[in-house]
Order: sequence, then C-alpha cells, then structure tokens
Amino acid sequence: MTLQPAVHDRLPTRRIGVTTKSIIMGAATSRDWQPLHHDVVWAQSEGRLPNIIMNNYTQAGLISAYVTDWFGPAARLGRLRFSMRSPICPGDPLELSGVIQVVEPEADFLWVSLAIELAVAARIATTADVRIAVPAVGQSPSVWHRSGAAWRP
Amino acid sequence: MAVSDLPLLVRSWIGQAVVTVDHTVTVEKASWLSFCAAVQDGNPLYWDEAFAEAHTGSAIAPPAMLPSWGSAYDWFPGKEGDGLRPMELHFLLKEAFGYPNGIVTNVEIEYHEPVRAGDSVRVEQILRAVSDERLTRLGPGRDWTIDLIYRRQDQALFGRHSISFLAYGSAATHQEAS
Repeated sequence: MTLQPAVHDRLPTRRIGVTTKSIIMGAATSRDWQPLHHDVVWAQSEGRLPNIIMNNYTQAGLISAYVTDWFGPAARLGRLRFSMRSPICPGDPLELSGVIQVVEPEADFLWVSLAIELAVAARIATTADVRIAVPAVGQSPSVWHRSGAAWRP
Repeated sequence: MAVSDLPLLVRSWIGQAVVTVDHTVTVEKASWLSFCAAVQDGNPLYWDEAFAEAHTGSAIAPPAMLPSWGSAYDWFPGKEGDGLRPMELHFLLKEAFGYPNGIVTNVEIEYHEPVRAGDSVRVEQILRAVSDERLTRLGPGRDWTIDLIYRRQDQALFGRHSISFLAYGSAATHQEAS
C-alpha cells in the first residue's frame, strides 16, 4: 500500500494463470450462465470464439481485488469503468497493471483515479478506469461511513 | 441520437424503466465468499466479521458483485417458461430489431451503499439510447446503452450500472458475450 499515493505511481504487476476452472468459477459464482463462459463446444461453434471466455463480472472482481489489495481494505471503490477489447481464455497468461493518474483531496480522504490494463502478452484484453476513496492518513475516519450527499463517486 | 428509424415500441422505451427485477435473490455470505475465492480476493471486509465491524458495521459483499444480486435463480419452484433473462431489456431489444448477436462493449458502475447478508435489491433496467442502424465489420447493427439502478430493500441506493452493447448480424449466426 502507498501511504501517500502520487500521480504516476505504478501498482506492482499481478500475474494470473487463467484456467477453464477459474473462468467457470467466476461465471458461476457471479450468477452468469451464458454458455460462452462454461461450454467450450458452444463457444467455438455458436460463438465462433477460440474457447470459453472470462465474463465481465469476473473481470470487475479481479480489478477490484487488485486495487484494494494495494490500497488496503480501508479503501472504498467508488467507480469502475472498463472496455473489453479482446477475450480472455483458458491458458492465457493474464497480467494486471495500473498507474495512478489523479489524486484529489476531499474532506479527510483522497480520491485516487487509476488506469488499469489487463493484458495477455502484448495483447490488451481490457482497459479500465477506477476511482477509489483512500483515507488521507492512517487515523482518518473510515470512508465507509460516508453516505448520501457525503459520498459522491 | 436520431430516432427516425426506430420502431414506435422501442422509441417509447427510451428513458423508461422497461424491466424491473424485484428482490428475487437474498444476499448471502457463502455466495459472495465463493466469488471471492474465484477472483482470489482476501479483503477482510468480506471475510472477517471482527475486522469489518470497525469499518462497515458487519461483513459486506464485494461491491464488484453488484450486478449478480439482480440475476434471478436459474430455476425456482413454480417457475413457468423462461422467466426473466439476465439483462432482459437487452434481449427484448435484440428481438425487437431481429439481431441474433450481441456483445458488451463498455461497462460503468458507480458504487454507493454496501449490501450485507439478508439484503436484497430492486433493479430497474432503463433504456438510455439506441443508435440508428449502421454497417459494422460484423454486419448491420446498432449500439444501445442500458442503465440499471439498484436499490436495497430500505430504498438506499446500492449502485448505478450502465452497459453498452453492439447487437448485429443475421439469423445465420448466434453470438452472445457478456
């Protein structure tokens, strides 16, 4: 975790070996039963895809975990925007990377905006923008107590 | 957005909550921990009641699971027909235009109040915009954006979710990506 996040700080790269099991686990536990996330025959014949593909809910979960693992559990996700450019399939060596783009003080916490990439070798699979609230210092009140007009993600 | 070539039915849907999913699933800790296991998320707010008490009052579900709580069970006692499909409004649009294929292109989620075990959500699916038909590299198609508003049973705002789709093609091929 960075105690004082700064623009251009880079998060350490996270490498994930994508498997058939991990794609199906992600789809099933996010309640997504579209066949292209669990049925390889359907994915190849009807979907014209190389294999089953990771669903967008799982990608959101991976991005969320990547960011909150870095900033710590006291941080609170405010906004996530992502574009899926190419599919993520079993056997893909997925790499998550991120860089801080904006740090904005608000009251007793900081809004931190990051650019995240999910890449398979040189291929960009997904790009994402994340906005997360981080306590300004260790003793700051929890950002989770903010609601209504005091929480503007 | 030009609306000149939109069917009247679709035009009447713009800006309206066409589909509502009303508290069909109860948020459960075992369900969200299974998702955490799938994405290897060890955040103690989701796992550790003692830790979560200081920050959120009790353990919360991962915010990234927001859309999952608006997806009905695939089967339930007394179910008749297909029931509501996940992202039902998207399928209604595909059927209205006759496009067999659809892919998600962009997703944006704004997270507000968390949900905990025992909560449930009401989701409104609102059609924000539909493009004119255009020729894509996958054939004739249209872009549309659906906004989803999630509220807990106490009416607190849980989140806002926007999904943009490209629907396209002829009846000869079928592809659905999410």
